[in-house]
Amino acid sequence: MFGNKNKKEKLDIITNSIVLFFAILSLFPLYWLLTSSFKNSADVVKMPPDWFPKTFTMSNYVDVFNNQPALLWAYNSIVVALVATIALIIVSSLAAYAFSKLKFKGKNIIFIIFISSLMIPKEVMIVPLFRIIQNFDMVNTLSGMIWPNVATAFGVFLLKGFFDSIPDSLREAAKIDGASEFKIFYKIYLPLVKPGIGALFILNFVQVWNDYLWQLIVGQDATSKTLMVGIATLMQDLNPNFAYKMAGATVAAVPMLLIFIFFQKYFTKGITIGADK
Amino acid sequence: MKLKNESFKENITGYLFIAPQMLLFLVFLVYPIIEGIRLSLYKINYQTETFIGFGNYQRLFSDPVFVQSTFNTVIFVVFIVALTVIFALFVSTAIFDKNAKYVSFIRGAYYIPVMVSMVVMSMVWSFLLNPANGLIPFVARQMELSTVNFLGDKSWVLPVIIFVTFATNVGQAIILYIASLIGVPKELFEAAEVDGASRMKIIFKILIPMVKPTTIYIIIMNIIAVLKIFVVIQLLTGGGPNNSSTTLMYYLYNNAFKYNQLGIASAVGVIMFLITLALSIPQLRAMLKKN
Repeated sequence: MFGNKNKKEKLDIITNSIVLFFAILSLFPLYWLLTSSFKNSADVVKMPPDWFPKTFTMSNYVDVFNNQPALLWAYNSIVVALVATIALIIVSSLAAYAFSKLKFKGKNIIFIIFISSLMIPKEVMIVPLFRIIQNFDMVNTLSGMIWPNVATAFGVFLLKGFFDSIPDSLREAAKIDGASEFKIFYKIYLPLVKPGIGALFILNFVQVWNDYLWQLIVGQDATSKTLMVGIATLMQDLNPNFAYKMAGATVAAVPMLLIFIFFQKYFTKGITIGADK
Repeated sequence: MKLKNESFKENITGYLFIAPQMLLFLVFLVYPIIEGIRLSLYKINYQTETFIGFGNYQRLFSDPVFVQSTFNTVIFVVFIVALTVIFALFVSTAIFDKNAKYVSFIRGAYYIPVMVSMVVMSMVWSFLLNPANGLIPFVARQMELSTVNFLGDKSWVLPVIIFVTFATNVGQAIILYIASLIGVPKELFEAAEVDGASRMKIIFKILIPMVKPTTIYIIIMNIIAVLKIFVVIQLLTGGGPNNSSTTLMYYLYNNAFKYNQLGIASAVGVIMFLITLALSIPQLRAMLKKN
């Protein structure tokens, strides 16, 4: 019995050492990204490399912001991610409330059709989608990047569960008091689904921020590039200075790292929602 | 009469609440799907469209690059999904019953690459793998391996992309498995522990069967995600060397936005749409049942 337990723990220690080793290894590319971005152009290509930068220089960041419109890219990315997310929260909370609490003809069939689109990536329909954007005159505009992201079923899918968990009796009581449907939604239910809205905000913001392909197609001119598209063009740049490219990539990565550090619990909650069903 | 009026009013209220979301859904999702199917049956030349039936599909299957793209995409899906599930299960079963701080550190370490996006990670990997001044070719040279140009070598390029994609995305599956394992009732495996069952046995006989719904979810989500794999191809290899790492999404993108073959590109899109639709049906069924 005792011996068995020891053997058991040994195996556990070995597997956990492997897990820990790979966890650190999985952070290594980011360590390399960060430290390389502070190296000067000579040190960054030195072999054998400096595992820790011997000289810290900010010049790559200065280059990224001065020689490239990185501030404009960042601004575009923030606007696209923020507006798309707020718009999604507005339209999907209204719809999720209706699907959860209201009775109307065809509700179930509409819901099923709508939710069926949940896993269809918009990328597969990129040709007709781009033609629509052309017809709306939205090529090279941030609107063109925003609206297709608000068509997703993800918001309704995530929020409906939160609305479902709040009893119908609240609505009925307010109805008797003569409150309008919108007022009931806005004043009573919306505050109660705040955790769901928080999770939706974070998850969707990250999703749109990192959404590269669509932004690449819509934002073709210099003024409508987003950060992801901008730094990818740095990559294809002939400039051989990798430190400078890494600085660009760091600028795009840092906001996401901060969001992750501060809102970790929302991720776990939001991501696991689909799998628990 | 009053009752009828009431229900009429409630119908209208319901429709008004869902209207904005449905409008966006129709314009940016339903219509593109229908239009995509239509375009796939046409030969499109700037302003002129000629109906050619399944001509685009026929051309696709006789194009060796399309065949290669399909083959590569299937290889990526199979290997990346298998690696992801196996490794995520290995990590999560090893750590889920340890103390909370340790769990959250491990989870974070694997999830951070997911967060910072495929674009950023592709850039770092492209630097790490750069034959002239990348760290990995340097180490390969020290170890006197024959290849140092991993992305320029036909026999290395697929395994490297599989590894990079797997390493960047496995964190998502790990988060899902940990949450699901924490939810397994403790009595189930504590009883087995008392009976002297080894940890291995508990993992294989109790835990893995218990998290099967999560496994199915992870498999479906990852198949769909890998099916549209694009960023890592564009930034690491550009589909090369000699089309050996091209994928369906990359093929679609090139046809649509480089070669101006909109009909062909739409046909690829329709094929990908049908695959994702078929894959998502079992998952949707399960979700709707619960709702």
